[in-house]
Amino acid sequence: MLRNKQKIRNTVSIRVMQVTILTILLILTGRLIQLQIIEYDKYGPLSLANSIRQESVSPARGLIFDRSGRMLVDNQPIYTITVTPATFDTETVPLLAEFLNMTPEMVKERIQIASQYSWHRPSRLFTDISFHSFSQIQENIWQLPGIGHLVESKRHYPTDIQGSHIFGYLSEVTQQEYRSSERYLLGDNAGRSGLEFKYEHNLRGDYGARYVRINALGQSLGPYDEQQLGRNPTKGADIYTHIDADLQLLGEELMQNKIGGLVVMDPNNGAVLALVSSPGFDVDRLSGRVDMDYWISLQSDTTNPLFNRAISTIQPPGSTIKPLLGLVGLDYGIITPETEINCTGGFRHGRLYRCTRAHGRQNLEQAIQNSCNTFFFSLMNQAMGQIGLNSWHRHISSFGLGQLSGIDLPNERQGILPDSSYYNSNFGPRQWGIGDLISLGVGQGTFSSSPIQMARFVSELANGGYKVKPQIVDRIVHPDGKITVHEPERERIPWVKEEHLKIIQQGMRKAITEGSGRFYSDLQGIEVAGKTGTAQNPHGIDHGWFISYAPYDQPEIAIAVLVENAGFGSISAAPIAGLLMEKYFYGSIQRSWVYDYVKNFTPREEQEVVF
Amino acid sequence: MTWYKQIDWLLIICWVCLSTAGLVAIYSATLGPVSEFLPAYIQDNFYNQILWVGISIICMVAIQFTSPRSFLQTSYILYIVCIILAIITIFWGSEAGGARRWLVIAGIRFQISEMLKLATILVVANYLTSRRDISAEHIGSALWAIVLMLIPSIIIILQNDTGTALVLLSIIPVMLFWSGLPYGISLFLISPPIIAYFSVINWHIGVFLVVILTVAIFFIQKRLWLTASSLIVGLLVIIGVQVSLYQVLQPHQQARIEAFVNPSLDPQGAGWNVLQAKTAIGSGGLWGKGFLEGTQTQLRFLPEQWTDFIFPVIAEEFGLIGAGTLLVIFSLLLLRLLNIAGEHKHPFAQLVIVGVTMIFFVQLVINLGSAMGLLPVIGLPLPFVSYGGSAFLSFSIMLAICLNFDLYKREFSIYS
Repeated sequence: MLRNKQKIRNTVSIRVMQVTILTILLILTGRLIQLQIIEYDKYGPLSLANSIRQESVSPARGLIFDRSGRMLVDNQPIYTITVTPATFDTETVPLLAEFLNMTPEMVKERIQIASQYSWHRPSRLFTDISFHSFSQIQENIWQLPGIGHLVESKRHYPTDIQGSHIFGYLSEVTQQEYRSSERYLLGDNAGRSGLEFKYEHNLRGDYGARYVRINALGQSLGPYDEQQLGRNPTKGADIYTHIDADLQLLGEELMQNKIGGLVVMDPNNGAVLALVSSPGFDVDRLSGRVDMDYWISLQSDTTNPLFNRAISTIQPPGSTIKPLLGLVGLDYGIITPETEINCTGGFRHGRLYRCTRAHGRQNLEQAIQNSCNTFFFSLMNQAMGQIGLNSWHRHISSFGLGQLSGIDLPNERQGILPDSSYYNSNFGPRQWGIGDLISLGVGQGTFSSSPIQMARFVSELANGGYKVKPQIVDRIVHPDGKITVHEPERERIPWVKEEHLKIIQQGMRKAITEGSGRFYSDLQGIEVAGKTGTAQNPHGIDHGWFISYAPYDQPEIAIAVLVENAGFGSISAAPIAGLLMEKYFYGSIQRSWVYDYVKNFTPREEQEVVF
Repeated sequence: MTWYKQIDWLLIICWVCLSTAGLVAIYSATLGPVSEFLPAYIQDNFYNQILWVGISIICMVAIQFTSPRSFLQTSYILYIVCIILAIITIFWGSEAGGARRWLVIAGIRFQISEMLKLATILVVANYLTSRRDISAEHIGSALWAIVLMLIPSIIIILQNDTGTALVLLSIIPVMLFWSGLPYGISLFLISPPIIAYFSVINWHIGVFLVVILTVAIFFIQKRLWLTASSLIVGLLVIIGVQVSLYQVLQPHQQARIEAFVNPSLDPQGAGWNVLQAKTAIGSGGLWGKGFLEGTQTQLRFLPEQWTDFIFPVIAEEFGLIGAGTLLVIFSLLLLRLLNIAGEHKHPFAQLVIVGVTMIFFVQLVINLGSAMGLLPVIGLPLPFVSYGGSAFLSFSIMLAICLNFDLYKREFSIYS
């Protein structure tokens, strides 16, 4: 009986277990059918996508050349080593560290970060390592499982030119940028300033694609059969600039340890031969693996090296504006070439507007030559009475003051050329009067402009009254061989009269031969015309200005120089322009003592207010 | 009757089919095009496995010449020796992948925990046989049997091999059930893992199950204390699971559980293995991609594809036809073993065969469940198929003992 019961129980137990096992095996079979039959359409493509990867092939960024075809910016390979944490052997850390000249702790730390990012995919371990380290690692790659490499490229600057504000720097695209544009991928660089920014769409090029078979470790196993799916990358367009590398280099040398900007331009077409903003920065150190310490030091530097003073600083033009104001006076008939004003050391209108000294009787030409303030105060006073501020404004703005010059660089500022609406909104309607306007007559007060604007207006005085647009890039050579040339704009300023301009030019010539320019910028064999200026600076030492062009009768070159906190333009800015002209016309510097003077220039503290 | 008519050829055919399938899959997983990404010692796996199959055949044949009673007599000695070796392994074993499982004997790496499974089954079967019947009134001997199974489980956990310990623990209720443990108590014993499994996915389902199981236990057993314990233990399991999920488990274990519940959350991290395994299986389709043609396998997307993830290799390259056939062979093996147990007269033999069947079954379910995303990933070899000498040998010995019991079922009876 007991045995029988036992037997029944055994049979029941067997059946219970067999049914349980069968049920669970059926569930497993059901799952198998679900995965392999029902969800086949999901997993089939997934496994294909797993084993075939679309790889982007980076385009080479376009090159930048100077006017004579010298390469200013090209690309250099940088070597990056990658790690796949899944296959990496931690025992090789000391060996790897030795090749990289690093401590094992640093390497370990980076590998730690990489494994947090992904265990199975290669991550960048060290970017921009030296070629020596790279080749050592490649020779010993068999000892270093999980280590791979990438060859990428960075900008390289083969000449001695710093060019920081012309070329500009690149930096990695933000998440927003690569999401919003198909041209960028994560980790790409894009131009952030200078030509790199302005011509980004030309320089960048287009990604190519190739399809490769890969394994789970991300290792490429060579091209996928259907290679016709891929396409080659399109190289970026090359850019040929008007920049003259020699002039640019000299300009940078001369502006070293000074704050300011200079622009050298062809007055006939606005081609920019040199453009310097000082202090600059080392674009090379922002290329490739960004030197973070350097970047932070640039951002916190009180002299603001990232700021392009040549096109963005705005300072009162001072006396440099006088020739243009004289031209306006002549055109409106406020003065004639013969009009004389007696300078007794100042102009009195409500208060005394001081001159540098008592010049005696001065006509326009003499007033430009001697930079007589009294003459121009008086002219401004009469102009305001006879034609009004807005007519005056209209004439001057046709020379590009108070307006963007349109140079092909980013972040230009337009400066201030005041008209009545400016005063109304800044001072309040009827809250301003002739007293605020008279100092405009000597380029002070609310008047302000940038070196590029000054270079532009001196060019327009030099070339006989033709409007020019400053332009750095001459032509763009596209990868398909097509060339886009930037035709210079040249348009006559309608109100300028030849005979009036002649008088102004003569005054500017005299300013160099007999006036304040005679010390440092009167060159032998070349007729230079120009005008010095000093911008009042309520915060410290005045800023020196100098604008000039040469040769006097057949101008080929126009220069505007601003040296901040350096006192008189005649001793701070004029020598720099003089040396640049020597370099341009003779190919070398003739007066080495002037060069030494500029290099060792220190502004004198005690400065009188001189207009 | 001649000897060859008494041998259960179906089991032997199943064994041959499974080991052959294993060799084919190991060949594909280590010597196919994938071999260029694998270190040399892994490429030796195929030849090692052939060697172990050979050794196993010798052992299996040899076992058929021993008396079934000898297993009964030596069970305690084998158990103690295995326990001692396992303890030695904890301290002096060679380490791999964070676990100390291997003992190097005469230059051969041996995984003692595999043998410990067999030793435990033998000793527990011996003990329970000597106790005759277990009922709700004589629960004491059941507790001793549990202790006998807990000791090796704890040692294996100390070796950091949670998977194998889980297999050992899972045979406790089955062997007790077979020895006459009332149905209600047996259900009570197996209810915690069921509740735990579902409460990992969603604790609401856990609570629902606790109620259902408690009601079921009440109707089967009609004992208040059992019903109450069932309810309390069930709820404790749910709380325990929630606490350990967020407090006790190591981050990598948490990640595995997390990845099991939602593999697409972290496709690069912990969910990677499951996702790639499922992709391999799913992309195999009905007919498979063909031998050595599986992209997931050959491009090294599968982790541990010669051991724990060998099933996806078969499923990818041979499709539903191949993988389904494998499942059919496994069902034949398991059901046949249970039949043999039912036909046998001696309780020791019955218990051993049932225990062995359960080990095969649990390993099969955990291995396939992990690969198909039905369970969190627990690394366990697929019996007879996965690469691994000690596992293959010990599984084969287990099967050989069952064959031996069947062969001598007339001689080895309770009356002799």
